[in-house]
Amino acid sequence: MVDPNLSWLFWGYAVGWLLIFGYLFSIAQKERTLRKKVSELQDALEDRWKQKKA
Amino acid sequence: MLREFDEKPAIPLWLLAAAAVAMMVHLYLIFIWVPTEATMGIVQRLFYFHVPAAVAQFTACFVGGIAAILYLVKRDPRYDDLSLAANETVLVFGLVNVCLGMLWAKPIWGIWWTWDPRLTSSFLLLFLYGAYLVLRPAAPVEHRGMICAVVCILGMADVPLVYLSNRLFRTQHPAPVLGGGPDSGLAPPIAITLFFGMFTMMLLWVCILLVRRRVARLERAAEDLTRRVHELEDVRSF
Repeated sequence: MVDPNLSWLFWGYAVGWLLIFGYLFSIAQKERTLRKKVSELQDALEDRWKQKKA
Repeated sequence: MLREFDEKPAIPLWLLAAAAVAMMVHLYLIFIWVPTEATMGIVQRLFYFHVPAAVAQFTACFVGGIAAILYLVKRDPRYDDLSLAANETVLVFGLVNVCLGMLWAKPIWGIWWTWDPRLTSSFLLLFLYGAYLVLRPAAPVEHRGMICAVVCILGMADVPLVYLSNRLFRTQHPAPVLGGGPDSGLAPPIAITLFFGMFTMMLLWVCILLVRRRVARLERAAEDLTRRVHELEDVRSF
């Protein structure tokens, strides 16, 4: 016989794991975006320096 | 700006592997090995996720708070980055703890929430760390670290209140099962599963903390580079 509280257990673990892995996924995405941004800014800074020297 | 250590993976491979294996073993212990608790039935298995999440949350509060104090003393931005990373995880693990608590309370107590001392102090803790994350981007850059450190230390001060709330007051929340007096205690299989759950959650928390700290460093680097690019543009236009 299926326990009537099984759905509560399922939703508890589902919500818990979703929150943790959702957060992990969001910061991994953010890291990727920031890496790209930092790289672009480094290039921009280099260009400005070259223009300044010229 | 991207230093050599920033090019390496944020989480060492051995730690990632240990966390993955521990999670598998923990799931086995929860759903196959540990016997079903007699009074509450199957829903009691939420305990093995609910309590470890709270332990990870409290650890994050202390790590964030100590890093904030170190930042105030040494003014080293690396401590501010660590504090930010830890404080964000406080909110994540705190939400897991509260959500699981509500999903456990509904079938057992018949209600989702009640304003008893344990739940209210937990809510206050979440509220404080939520305020920290809202305040951080709004604070002036030059005082941001200091303002956030003060809020974070206030948050850390709420942790003993949450911990002691069901020891000092009569609460709807159950009395402590560990160190709660002569009637407290756990059957060995339940205790083993719980302690292994705490160990697993700590491994997972450290992994998340390392990734978030890396992101905090990158955010600082991006801010610094943006300012330098603008400074050069201003000099040229002048």
